[in-house]
Amino acid sequence: MTSNSPSEKRLEELREQAWKDGVVPGKGVDVAGGPIPRKPGYYGQPVVKPPVWTWEIPIYFFVGGLSGMSAVIASAAVLFHHVDLARTAMWLAAIGVILSSVLLIMDLGRPHLFINMLRVFKHQSAMSMGVWILTFFGACVVPGLIALELHTLHLFTGAMDQLLRIAAGVLIFGSALFGTLLATYTGVLIGATAIPAWFLHRLLLPIHFGTAGLGSAAGLLELFGHRIAPLNAIGFFAAAVESALLVWLTIDKHGAADRAIHEHGSGWLIRVGEILTGPLALVLRLFGFVPFAAFAFLVGALVSRFGWIAVGKVSGSDPESVFAAERY
Amino acid sequence: MAEAHPVGFRWAMKAKERGATIIHVDPRFSRTSALADIWVPIRAGGDIAFLGGLVRHIIENELFFRDYVVHFTNASCILREDFRDAEEGATGVFSGWSGEQCGYDRKTWLYNGDGGLSFPERDLTLQHPRCVFQTLRRHFARYTPEMVEKICGIPPALFHKVADALVAASGPEKTAAICYALGWTQHSKGVQIIRTAAILQLLLGNIGRPGGGILALRGHASIQGSTDIPTLYDILPGYLPMPRGDGSEATLRDYLARHTKPTGLWHNFPAYFISLLKAYYGKNATAENDFGYNWVPKITTNHSFFEYLYDMADGKMEGMFIMGQNPAVAAANSRFERAALSKLKWLVVREMVEIEAAMFWRDSPEIEHGELRTEEIDTEVFFFPAAGHAEKEGAFTNTQRLLQWREKAVDPPGDCRSEAWFIHQLALRLIAKAKQSNDPLDEPLRALDWWYPEDQLGDPKMEAVLAEINGWYTAPQPNADGVVFGINREGNPHHGPQIDGYPRLKSDGSTASGGWIYSGVLGPDKINKAKSRNSKDYLGHGWGFAWPGDRRIIYNRASASPTGEPWSDRKKLIWWDRAQSKWTGVDNPDFPVEKSPEFRPTGNESGLDGIRGDAAFILQEDGLGWLYVASGLQDGPMPTHYEPLESPVHNALYSRDTNPAVHWFTRQENRFAPPGDPRFPFVLTTYRLTEHHTAGGMSRFLSHLAELQPELFAEMSPELAVELKIGNGDHISIVSLRGAIEARALVSRRIRPLRLNGKTVHQIAMPFHFGSAGPVKGGATNDLVPISGEPNVTIMEAKALTCNIVPGRLPRGPAFEDWLNEYVPKGGPPNLHPEQPPAGAPCARAGGGHGMEGKIDNR
Amino acid sequence: MIGEGIQSSNQRRHSFVQDHVEVGFFTDPTVCIGCKACEVACKEWNQVPDDGFTWSGNSYDNTGHLGASTWRHVMFLEQDCAKGNQIAGPMSLDQDPFRWIFLSDVCKHCEDAGCLEACPTGSIVRTEVGSVLVQNDVCNGCGYCVVSCPFGVIDRRPQPLPDAGGAFKCTFCYDRQKSGLVPACAKVCPTESIVFGRLDDLRARGAERVHQLQQSGYNDAQLYDPTETSVRGIHAFFLILGEPEAYGLPPKPQIPTIYLKSAWTAAFATAIASIITTLVAFAFFS
Repeated sequence: MTSNSPSEKRLEELREQAWKDGVVPGKGVDVAGGPIPRKPGYYGQPVVKPPVWTWEIPIYFFVGGLSGMSAVIASAAVLFHHVDLARTAMWLAAIGVILSSVLLIMDLGRPHLFINMLRVFKHQSAMSMGVWILTFFGACVVPGLIALELHTLHLFTGAMDQLLRIAAGVLIFGSALFGTLLATYTGVLIGATAIPAWFLHRLLLPIHFGTAGLGSAAGLLELFGHRIAPLNAIGFFAAAVESALLVWLTIDKHGAADRAIHEHGSGWLIRVGEILTGPLALVLRLFGFVPFAAFAFLVGALVSRFGWIAVGKVSGSDPESVFAAERY
Repeated sequence: MAEAHPVGFRWAMKAKERGATIIHVDPRFSRTSALADIWVPIRAGGDIAFLGGLVRHIIENELFFRDYVVHFTNASCILREDFRDAEEGATGVFSGWSGEQCGYDRKTWLYNGDGGLSFPERDLTLQHPRCVFQTLRRHFARYTPEMVEKICGIPPALFHKVADALVAASGPEKTAAICYALGWTQHSKGVQIIRTAAILQLLLGNIGRPGGGILALRGHASIQGSTDIPTLYDILPGYLPMPRGDGSEATLRDYLARHTKPTGLWHNFPAYFISLLKAYYGKNATAENDFGYNWVPKITTNHSFFEYLYDMADGKMEGMFIMGQNPAVAAANSRFERAALSKLKWLVVREMVEIEAAMFWRDSPEIEHGELRTEEIDTEVFFFPAAGHAEKEGAFTNTQRLLQWREKAVDPPGDCRSEAWFIHQLALRLIAKAKQSNDPLDEPLRALDWWYPEDQLGDPKMEAVLAEINGWYTAPQPNADGVVFGINREGNPHHGPQIDGYPRLKSDGSTASGGWIYSGVLGPDKINKAKSRNSKDYLGHGWGFAWPGDRRIIYNRASASPTGEPWSDRKKLIWWDRAQSKWTGVDNPDFPVEKSPEFRPTGNESGLDGIRGDAAFILQEDGLGWLYVASGLQDGPMPTHYEPLESPVHNALYSRDTNPAVHWFTRQENRFAPPGDPRFPFVLTTYRLTEHHTAGGMSRFLSHLAELQPELFAEMSPELAVELKIGNGDHISIVSLRGAIEARALVSRRIRPLRLNGKTVHQIAMPFHFGSAGPVKGGATNDLVPISGEPNVTIMEAKALTCNIVPGRLPRGPAFEDWLNEYVPKGGPPNLHPEQPPAGAPCARAGGGHGMEGKIDNR
Repeated sequence: MIGEGIQSSNQRRHSFVQDHVEVGFFTDPTVCIGCKACEVACKEWNQVPDDGFTWSGNSYDNTGHLGASTWRHVMFLEQDCAKGNQIAGPMSLDQDPFRWIFLSDVCKHCEDAGCLEACPTGSIVRTEVGSVLVQNDVCNGCGYCVVSCPFGVIDRRPQPLPDAGGAFKCTFCYDRQKSGLVPACAKVCPTESIVFGRLDDLRARGAERVHQLQQSGYNDAQLYDPTETSVRGIHAFFLILGEPEAYGLPPKPQIPTIYLKSAWTAAFATAIASIITTLVAFAFFS
């Protein structure tokens, strides 16, 4: 179609008249593929596909993030002799890893074939990396927790106990390493896809998911009674970073490419989540309402995960977003 | 063609690749139009005006192929003084019309002089005022491009584009072909539409030449076969007319006398007919009993589908077999059809799925509306599961008269059986019963020679049937050369060697043939040519068998000049080899092989000997291509534009709107709107989609096809949608004088409003594949279509009618009747159209017949 | 070519799998008649279930788009420009052109395929003929391929359809090709709009066809084969009239693995920062 065609000229005339008079009376028929296409692309059909994942996945993001960062806190706790904190944190990590695995398996289209995830190790697939991260994390967390408990409960003595202590230490540090990756890789997972609203925020997403995981772990441990200054400090840090991310998200718009975030209801889920984890948690903590801050952070972290999946579904179904994203 | 014959259309695409121009004339822009070079939107029903306009253009501008026209057509033949054209007084009626007979006395249409049709007087200068050429010229004189625009809505600029392309593609060096299907046949003047195309092609010299001709694109599987070896009431295999019971053909001699022509191929009529009788009755048919002529059923009136449908509706029919048809959806006025079915006492349906015709008694729109109630329907329905096409053996004959054998791939599942099995098993039982009765009424059954061997499933061996159709020498010689299936069911010798073509057929009972036109398909070489798949040349020799005699292009004598050389080297097909004194070439000559181009009969010869050496059209008595049909058609020797029976406008050319000889089937349930009726202002035309097959029995029940087109829709122009405030996808109801259905609106620029004679006329187009059965359902478009009978073949006019469109869905249940009464008046006379005769009058029913001659005069 | 019978590359037997020859589809809408034989043949051969019975009102396209149960999809575009020199009724003579284009869409079998890279079970593999194949018995339906395809081809089949749970797309009739047969869609296409054959032959043919069309008045004919993007070309490529957006095709598709580097960098940075922050928090605030 050239820009000299009569239909283009007519379009110009219509625009002129609409500008002048505010309305153009006359023919305005929605015709199958007619001269004025009402819908972008091919009859408004999606260009890419929206994600098929359901509620299990955003909850897994939340649980996995919390669980992974909990192991990080556990290892710092071990280093700085907060044994009780370490135990709670490792219990959170262990429950978290089991829950995560169950959620992931439930979301599979063919759950009975879950073990096929371990057939290959592909660095170019964030999901493959994630599977192995989760596996190694679990392989460190569960034995690590057992070793820690056995040591703490003094069920063995002497060399055995020494062995357990060393094993616990190694495994807990291992959990921390894999755990911190578990919390952040999920951002890579959805950032490295063909969904415009996701890949345009591929830097923000790992930072957000990791920080949300850290803050969630600290907050939940605080809610379990570990009201100590380091956790408070971590809480502040997480809330501050989240606030900065909220500003970044709001400013860094990409027009039609990420209008799912900025012009659609699903975007509000993200923003509400980020307000809860960011400014609100920060203010609450500043005024000393630590449990409330922790709770707000946890709720916000969960809501935000749901928001990002929802935005993915909207963006994936929007042909214009794909076309617009190409210039970035 | 791309819609209904997608695989065949590839050849049109290949031609296009090599530079051919594809012109598509159709009321709507279909998938064919999308690939055509020129699309011509035409008002449904205006085809004769358009083609006639082309004829006039070619005549007036001297663009016709003169040598061809002078020598090969009857342009030069001189007509009688008392012939009156429809043009005279612009009445639209020819000489000899009788309203009481609802027909023409056609003696004034014949050639002048005593030579009859065989040896006419001719003026080869084409100047004689009463020669066919000048008559044709006068007849089409008013079919100007402006008139074409008035009637068809085709602007002169577009008309000239088509004319120029057609003329540029014709002549000695080039040829053009015309392909058509139901868009031409399903009209009240369908045969004449095709005739106009024939005139066009004859004038342009395109008949009998490679890349030329007129191709009827046959639709259903083996639909060509269904007239060749017919399931029609009025013709016997090979287009022999069914004998009449009115006393005029009481004996074999009377019958043969009437149908044997002095010259031309039909001179051997007795041989074809008697061989057929020998096939039917075997050794029971002898010269002494007139070869069993008395056992052949005689027709007493028009027994075609719509005639007996009315009898059915009046409770005069007890039972019916429906095989491979779905009249509850596919017949015109299908609403009336379904009601009529409920009057039968018994109904046998053979199908693969439970089609609407089999389940009308428990679920149909009428049951839903409460017009019919299951408890009140007495019809006993016997449903026999049928085998699919890959589960049985046999031949299809389709476009180009091509027989192609079909092998059986698998056995049918469960109780499913083929038609052949059913008829064969039924026949065995009926014949057995007849043999035990002594009723003289059963004599024909007892006399039938039902010899067919069968396989272990009980299917008759289809190649045995083909062998019988091909024909053989009747004296049993099971061990001779060239015998196929020489032993009958009882194990006794049955017949002699196969014959190799219809020229071998005799009228003394020494030959038998179940269908003379197919002779040669399974000859003494014992090769089933319908099975062969080894195409040797561009005409397809070696792939299947084209009747007659595997001639791929009939009348191919016309591809050479009167003196026997090809018109051009580029378009050579057959030619006269002087050295060997015979016709030879790329195709099998459709001409006596040894007749020289210089041969001239003296006037006393008969049969093919009476044909000149430069007369290509050997089926005709004068051997000429008929621009003017002196004998054989019911409604005129030349095509005349008549309006469809339901039309938004009057006839712009003549004072008569509609075809005078048409049968209106007048009845309260089958009313026609008068011209320009404001209650039904839109033209409706019907069509097929690629995704579905006819009444949907084989496509709506198959998920892969059903999901491609899951709902009935009506295509309309954006202009009409704006006028009626209908958006794309809206539910709408379409109503005609016969009934109402609902559909979705598909608004598209592919449908155009037309300006006819200063008035804007809107057309809408609908496919007809939907019904109330199966996984995807929809209204039956044929509920809207009236029953009518074209005078020659009694085909209904399904391609042009008028309707109204009402936004919104139809009401459910009994409320439907009240809704319908708002748009379709209940009472009043059944003949609303001013040219429609009242019930009981001539032309109100068919009462006539096909075949070569005139009508039956009773009723 | 039409009329070559069993000599055509769409019909004749081959040994591409055994010989490791890269194959492709070249789809040319200028000869497509929109018959949908390709859709039906694909479903018949591969026993693909129906994809819903919904009338769309979008011209004759009630299929919608490619998905787990639609591996060939014919598009129907009604546009107000001309197809070459076609005269589409009096509209064309009044300078108000119209055309109807049909194009059969299919999995692109990318040179660098997003779905293949994303698959965590190794179910999606590259075959000997260069096509991208989902091994159905391995796929556990994680759905990651679905969001990794820049063309929106592959999808997860929902319950209660047969074989539900896994991801499905065009297999390039790998099973047929192993036996020397051609893909079902190419075999049945009556006008050879879909051409199957050696990829390099097809690319040459496509270039020639575009040139030929442009000479005969099809000013907006172009090839859609995004070789300059990170997808690095597609094995099932198309000739299109007009712009890719009208067909729902992304003009510049990218394989999402190009986003991995920056994303992992952010992830690692966050991971390290989290560890450091935690240690510092415990060190300074204990």
